[in-house]
Amino acid sequence: MQLPDNNGHFGEYGGRYISETLMPAVIELEQFYKKIRNDKEFIKEFNYYLKNYVGRPSPLYFAKRLSDIYKSDIFLKREDLNHTGAHKINNTIGQALLAVKMGKRRIIAETGAGQHGVATATVCALFNLECEVFMGKKDVERQKQNVFRMELLGAKVNPVESGSQTLKDAMNEALRDWITNIKTTYYMIGTVAGPHPYPLIVRDFQSVIGKEVLKQLKKLPDILIACVGGGSNAIGLFYPFFKYPQVKMYGVEAGGCGIETGMHAASISGGAPGVLHGNKTYLLQDEFGRIADAHSIAAGLDYPGIGPEHSYFADKKRIIFASVTDDEAVWAFQKLCRLEGIIPALESSHAVAYLEKIKKEIKGKTVVINLSGRGDKDMHTISEYLSSNTNKKL
Amino acid sequence: MSKENKIDTVFNRLKTENKTAFIPFISIGDPDIDTSLEIAKTLIKNGADIIELGFPFSDPMADGKVIQKSYERALKRKISMEDAFSFIKKLKAYRDIPVILFTYYNPVFVLGEKFAEGAKNAGIDGILVVDLPPEESAELTRSIQDKNIYQIYLIAPTTGNERMKRILSYAKGFVYYVSVTGVTGARKGLPETIKSKVKEIKEISSIPVGVGFGISSKEQARDIGKCADAVIIGSKIIQFIEDDINDKPAIIRRIAEFSFDIKSNL
Ligand SMILES: Cc1ncc(COP(=O)(O)O)c(C=O)c1O
Repeated sequence: MQLPDNNGHFGEYGGRYISETLMPAVIELEQFYKKIRNDKEFIKEFNYYLKNYVGRPSPLYFAKRLSDIYKSDIFLKREDLNHTGAHKINNTIGQALLAVKMGKRRIIAETGAGQHGVATATVCALFNLECEVFMGKKDVERQKQNVFRMELLGAKVNPVESGSQTLKDAMNEALRDWITNIKTTYYMIGTVAGPHPYPLIVRDFQSVIGKEVLKQLKKLPDILIACVGGGSNAIGLFYPFFKYPQVKMYGVEAGGCGIETGMHAASISGGAPGVLHGNKTYLLQDEFGRIADAHSIAAGLDYPGIGPEHSYFADKKRIIFASVTDDEAVWAFQKLCRLEGIIPALESSHAVAYLEKIKKEIKGKTVVINLSGRGDKDMHTISEYLSSNTNKKL
Repeated sequence: MSKENKIDTVFNRLKTENKTAFIPFISIGDPDIDTSLEIAKTLIKNGADIIELGFPFSDPMADGKVIQKSYERALKRKISMEDAFSFIKKLKAYRDIPVILFTYYNPVFVLGEKFAEGAKNAGIDGILVVDLPPEESAELTRSIQDKNIYQIYLIAPTTGNERMKRILSYAKGFVYYVSVTGVTGARKGLPETIKSKVKEIKEISSIPVGVGFGISSKEQARDIGKCADAVIIGSKIIQFIEDDINDKPAIIRRIAEFSFDIKSNL
C-alpha cells in the first residue's frame, strides 16, 4: 500500500482539514509537487545544496564511551553538525527550492524552539525571499537567541499572543496569514504535519537522514531511536527502514512533568485521535475536543499534536512510542556532554535518555540515535533549570 | 423526507417577498451562557431570519481577532457540546427560527455518532464545519443524512469554477460565499469581486447564496443584498459585546439597534 494515499490519508489519519479558502492552494501545491518530486534537475539541485551548503552527509558517529556503558554499539546521527544546528534545514532547503519554482517570493513559517524559524530565515536569505516567522510569545522569551538569529538573517519575527503562546498558536497564526495572503505566499511547515501534501513533502526532504545511515552503517541496525515533536527528524530516520521488519523503531515523546500530571507533550502516549492544523492525528485534548496545552522543557517538542504517519504506525505498532520526562532529558543532556563532548539539543536529549529505559534490550545490539540538533540554543533554559534544581546537576 | 428543512422554508418565503435574509452570528457562551441567550433572542426580535451560533474552540484558525477573543471569553467556563445543544433547545422554545451551528471539526469528531443524535434533538437545522471541506465530509454527511440537518458548504474567492460546480452539487439549504480572502473580521471596504462570484454561482445552481466575512455596515449589507439571498454578519455584532463587556444592557441595546437597522436595509 502506498502511504499517503491519493487523498493524503495514512489509513484513517492525515487528510486535509482546512477551510475552503486554502483548499485550492493546497491542491495546487500537491499537483506542482507531484510533477517535480521525481524531476532529476530538482533532485540534483536539492542534493547540491545539501552537500555544499548544509554540509551533508552528516557523520554517523560511533559513541564509544556511551556504548561501553550500555554494552551495545551506539551510533549518533550527527544532525547537530548541519548548518544552523539541526535537521530542520534539510526540509527548508527543499521547500525553498519548491517555493521558488512555484514563483512564490514571500515565505511564512511557524516555529517553536526557533530551529525551524532559523532554518527558514536562512534559506530565505540564501534564495532572496521575503520571510516572516510566527512564534509564540512564550517561546520568543525562552529562545531569545534564536529570535535574534532570525532577525540577523533578515526575517521578521511575529510574537503570537493568543492561546497558550506556544507552537500550536504560532501555527494558527501562520495559517491565518496564509489564508489572507494565499496568492503571494508559500507556507513552509517545519514538520511532518499539516494538510496533505505537507507530511509527504517534509518526509521526502528529511529522508536523507535515514538514507545516509543505510549507507554509512553498511548493515542494518537493530534499533532506531528519535525524539518526536511533530515527527520530522524521526520520520527522516525511520522512513528508509520501514521496509526492513527486523529494524525496531522507538519514537520518544516529551513526557514533561510526567504523563500522569497532565503536563506533557506526548500526543500518542497521552492523547487521542482528533483533528487540528489540517490533519487527523493523535492530539492532546479535553473530553470536549478542545486542544490542551502541551508542556515540555524542550520548546521544539512542546506541541499537542504529531504527524499523521506516526499516528498510523503507532496504531500498527510499527513504531513504538514512549516518553521521557524533563528531568530524564536533562540528565541525558548532561551525560552526553560529559561522555562524548557533545552538547545536544534538549529535544534530542529525549532520544538519548531513552537508552536508560531499554538498557536490557539494547545489550549487544546496534543502536542508531538521531541527534537531531545541538544544544547551543538551550544554554539559558538548562542553566535556569539546573540553578533551581541543584540536585539534578551531575 | 416528509418534513421540509426550515432553512428552505425561510428562503422560499423571502423569495416570494423579494427580500434578503439576515443571518447574524454570535458565539454560544460569550460573555456567558445567559447573556448570549439574551443576545440571540434580541437578534431574533430585531429581524434575524436564521441564526448562526458559534461553538467556542480553543484554536480558531479561520477566525480574526474579534471572534478569537469572543471564544476566549466563552471558554473561561467549560462549555460542552451538550451545553450548546441545551442552549439551542431554549432558543428554539423562544422562537423556532432556523439555527446553524458553526464549529471546527474536532469537537464534532470526538463525539462520534452522539453528535448527530444530539444535534437532531436540539433542533439544529444546519451545520457549518469551517475546517471540513467536502473531501473529508463523508463521515459527517452519513451521520446527519437521515436527520434533516443540512451541511452548509463554503465557497471562497480562491475556489475555481470546476471546484465550485462540485461543491454546489453537494450543497443544501444555501451556500456560504466567503467574501474576502482572509479570516473573519469586519472590514471597511469589500472586494469588487463579490458580485461577479455570486453571479458565477447563480449561473451554476439555483441554491440560495449567503455572503459573509467582513460585512459591517447597513450600506454594505444593502449593496450585497442586491445580488445575494442572505447577508451574514458576525464580528461587527460581537464587537458590541467586547466594547461594552461590563454593561450588559448597553450590549443588548446596541445589538438590537444594529440588527434592526440591517434588516430594514434588506
Ligand atoms: C533539535 C530539534 N529536534 C527535534 C525537534 C522536533 O521536531 P520534529 O519532531 O519534527 O523533528 C525540533 C523542533 O524544533 C528541534 O529543534
